[in-house]
Amino acid sequence: MALYFCLLSLVAVGGLPSVMPEMQRYVVDVKGWVTAEEFMQMFAVGQAAPGPNFLIASLIGWKIAGLPGAFVAFGAMTIPAAVLAWYAVGLWDRFKESPWRKAIQRAIAPVVVGMILASGYILATPGDPDWRLWLIAAMSACGMLFTKWNPLWFLVAGGTIGGFLLRA
Amino acid sequence: MEVTPPRSLTELFLGFFSIGARSFGGVMPWAHRVMVEERRWMTPADFTETIGLCQFLPGPNIGNASVVLGKRWFGLAGSVVAFLGLFGAPFVWVLALAILYADIATSPFVRSIVIGVGAAGAGLFIGTAIKLARALVDKPAALAIIAACFLAIGIGRLSLFVVLPALLVAALLLARKDLL
Repeated sequence: MALYFCLLSLVAVGGLPSVMPEMQRYVVDVKGWVTAEEFMQMFAVGQAAPGPNFLIASLIGWKIAGLPGAFVAFGAMTIPAAVLAWYAVGLWDRFKESPWRKAIQRAIAPVVVGMILASGYILATPGDPDWRLWLIAAMSACGMLFTKWNPLWFLVAGGTIGGFLLRA
Repeated sequence: MEVTPPRSLTELFLGFFSIGARSFGGVMPWAHRVMVEERRWMTPADFTETIGLCQFLPGPNIGNASVVLGKRWFGLAGSVVAFLGLFGAPFVWVLALAILYADIATSPFVRSIVIGVGAAGAGLFIGTAIKLARALVDKPAALAIIAACFLAIGIGRLSLFVVLPALLVAALLLARKDLL
């Protein structure tokens, strides 16, 4: 698990949303460590708590191997990227005017957008497609696009609506 | 604007700790508030440029920012201190929440609330993707890459480690031909 999270850490361009589908595929579909619904709940806890949502890794680690698992998973998910960042700053500044740097920047943009979109879809569809989850997701997506409110309010609203709509 | 970088590792730690501990609903607004407005460690332009670079690097962008800024001000010790300061509080928070949640998760009402929060969080991802895509709408090649990526990963459930290299090579070729 640690190795796998290290790998994920290094490809998480654009942050957690980019690697969420892969993480879910691996821990839910391939390894069966957690169910799709549990995964979504962990994601929700990670979103609602303060701090970077990368902390979902520590929740998965916790579920598999307790407290040590939480530390290992979190470290594996963040440290490789941090080390890379440490070295990359220097390189990045050196190649400021290189045409390759500009091409890479342009090439990465649409790939990152596609990965984030796929994450949103997968998280909103933990089991069979459910219109109620899609409705909540659509509302918070629109809220984010058309208002400047703190995203926390959309999570609160999602929780409230969920409490009423999903109880059945 | 008058800026004063942190003078000691303690100040650096406390600054990043206060970002992490308060960052409900997203770290970035708090990072801006603490580093630019409250402590005046850096100018807004400097902040935007640093975050831009960190966005481009893999990993949590604000975690990368803590490493990059810590390095700039205090070298390796600064990176480690800023990183630990940032993640210390949220790490404890999230585990505490998870323990609390395990105790009450048997209630169907609580479960439905949490699933609702998860769906809203998924919506935030979709919103973010659309926001970023607005800059790309006039480039058909970019839209094709987005669609291919979404279909392969979202619907096809293919492994990222297969899809990512293939798409990056394709995108890089398109970018060199000025189609992106």
